[in-house]
Amino acid sequence: MGKFFKIGLLTIALVIVLSSNSFSQEEIKVRITEGIPMIPVALPQFDYTEASQVDGNVLKDLYETIWDDLEYSRVFKLVPRQYFTYIGKLDQENIVFKDWASVQARVLITGKVEITNGDRIIFSVKVYEVETGKIIFKRNFAGRKEFTRLIAHRTSDEMMKHFGEKPYFTSKIVFVSTRDGNKEIYIMDYDGGRQKRITFNSYIDLMPSWSKDGENLLFTTYKKGIPDLVKFNLYSGKTDLISSGGVNYRADWSNEEDKLVYTSSKNGNNAEIYLREMDSGKEKRLTFNRIIDSSPCWSPNGKEIAFTSQRSGTPQIYIMNEDGTNVRRITYEGTYHDNPAWSPDGSRITYVSRIEGRFDIYVLNIKNNSMTKLTEMSGRNENPAWSPDSRHIIFTSNRTGNYQLYSIDYNGENLIKLTRRGENLMPKWQKIE
Amino acid sequence: MKRFLIVILTVMLVVFLFNSCAKKVKTVPETTKVEQVDETAPKVEKPKLTEEEIFLQKSLDEINKEGNLKKINFDFDKYTIREDMKGVLHKNADWLLKHSSVVFSIAGHCDERGTVEYNMALGEKRADAAMKYLLDLGIPANRMKIVSFGKNNPLVKGVDEKTHFMNRRDEFIIVKK
Repeated sequence: MGKFFKIGLLTIALVIVLSSNSFSQEEIKVRITEGIPMIPVALPQFDYTEASQVDGNVLKDLYETIWDDLEYSRVFKLVPRQYFTYIGKLDQENIVFKDWASVQARVLITGKVEITNGDRIIFSVKVYEVETGKIIFKRNFAGRKEFTRLIAHRTSDEMMKHFGEKPYFTSKIVFVSTRDGNKEIYIMDYDGGRQKRITFNSYIDLMPSWSKDGENLLFTTYKKGIPDLVKFNLYSGKTDLISSGGVNYRADWSNEEDKLVYTSSKNGNNAEIYLREMDSGKEKRLTFNRIIDSSPCWSPNGKEIAFTSQRSGTPQIYIMNEDGTNVRRITYEGTYHDNPAWSPDGSRITYVSRIEGRFDIYVLNIKNNSMTKLTEMSGRNENPAWSPDSRHIIFTSNRTGNYQLYSIDYNGENLIKLTRRGENLMPKWQKIE
Repeated sequence: MKRFLIVILTVMLVVFLFNSCAKKVKTVPETTKVEQVDETAPKVEKPKLTEEEIFLQKSLDEINKEGNLKKINFDFDKYTIREDMKGVLHKNADWLLKHSSVVFSIAGHCDERGTVEYNMALGEKRADAAMKYLLDLGIPANRMKIVSFGKNNPLVKGVDEKTHFMNRRDEFIIVKK
């Protein structure tokens, strides 16, 4: 298992090394901010060597993965393929930019695929600003055939970087699945590709979350019959006990410093919130009462914590400072709220509400206090988690009968199903800088 | 005179004869008495096992399967012991007092209608409520452990209230005897 990751990491490293080759002479940077209309991008079919054509899957995978990534981004809008028939065929040596401007493209992506030694892909991509014909960036990516999708995601990440966006297409989602019998931890690409089992504890593993470097997972395991919180290193396979005694769960690792917040009842059969400094192991209890306090999560700046508390009689979402002071309630409507997750840009908190027995996902804009309901009248919807760019929310829903993972935009658009086998729950998206 | 003598002699003879004859008849009659031949064997036989001994010979799995400790159920979103469940706890306590070596775990469970996180805490509250009740009934704290499974281990699958009720439960599992 660790080996797989190392190979994956090596390939990423290789891809990075190759891509950083002296192509930077003419590069330009484009920055966009939220609210600006999506950028129209033309993505014509890639050129290829004979061998690449024989292996149609590589071509198809590369092209479609990049297409889907960019479509998903909500930063770019892809020019419909049928428009390409209105203009002359693309000649990569002699591009007629006027043609591409005529189909409303602002950015043109061209690519060449080559397969060498039967197993090695080299993908050369050039991205142009259509108006000026200038190269925005160009890269050569190489890797084994099995990493075709990874090469595509790396290409899409470059697009994001050059337009001032977070490159999250190579990031992972961790989740719980019952596909192999009992609840175990799995990871997958952001789009549901390359799903892989991580734990083999033969019992119940729950509520995984990421360390900020993406190398460690925190989760709750019943390996010893009781719900212990452990840290698991994805590369060494080493497990460290973080907290035991009572229930221990829902840990969230801060972005800024090496500290985590989690729920534990180790001091008396009642769920409370604890803060732990990972280096020193120093712990601080943040809540003190006989009712349930749970589900803590950090604000992106690591200064505040959102959490669920029953102190008003029903579970509601609160925010407190990291030392446990200045507690204020943020949900008022409804009698059951839980699962708060703070958007990486700090502007929103998503959570679950139960209203008349229905579980739906809501987003609260904490700047203007406006609320959006993301899911409606379709099964039970739970465990919302943010994408690194704060534009998407992944969650679990039993709308088709059993629980599967879905992605939806923060405004409720573009629902995408990510999993199909077994029941799939409790997703968390890897953190990226 | 002579005649008188003969009579006397005859009488004497008769008496003599009669006597001797009578003697013969009078011989001891045969008795039918049966003699008892007997011996009191020392009473050594396989003793019946005491309840405790039978108990100690069983595996934990067997004991748990017998269901001596009954489940209790809860109201939706609540962890207070229902009135109709108190009797179950009393019976469980009686059994536990009789089997004083038993160490057991109280596992709190929830139905699927809450979040994973909240149900983890709620399941623990349910287990804790039963533990406190049993403490009051004289079961020492060092014989009890509690654990919450939240909504991760439903007993039955389904979406109706009957199913939910069955899933909102405390289970009592013997872990040491």
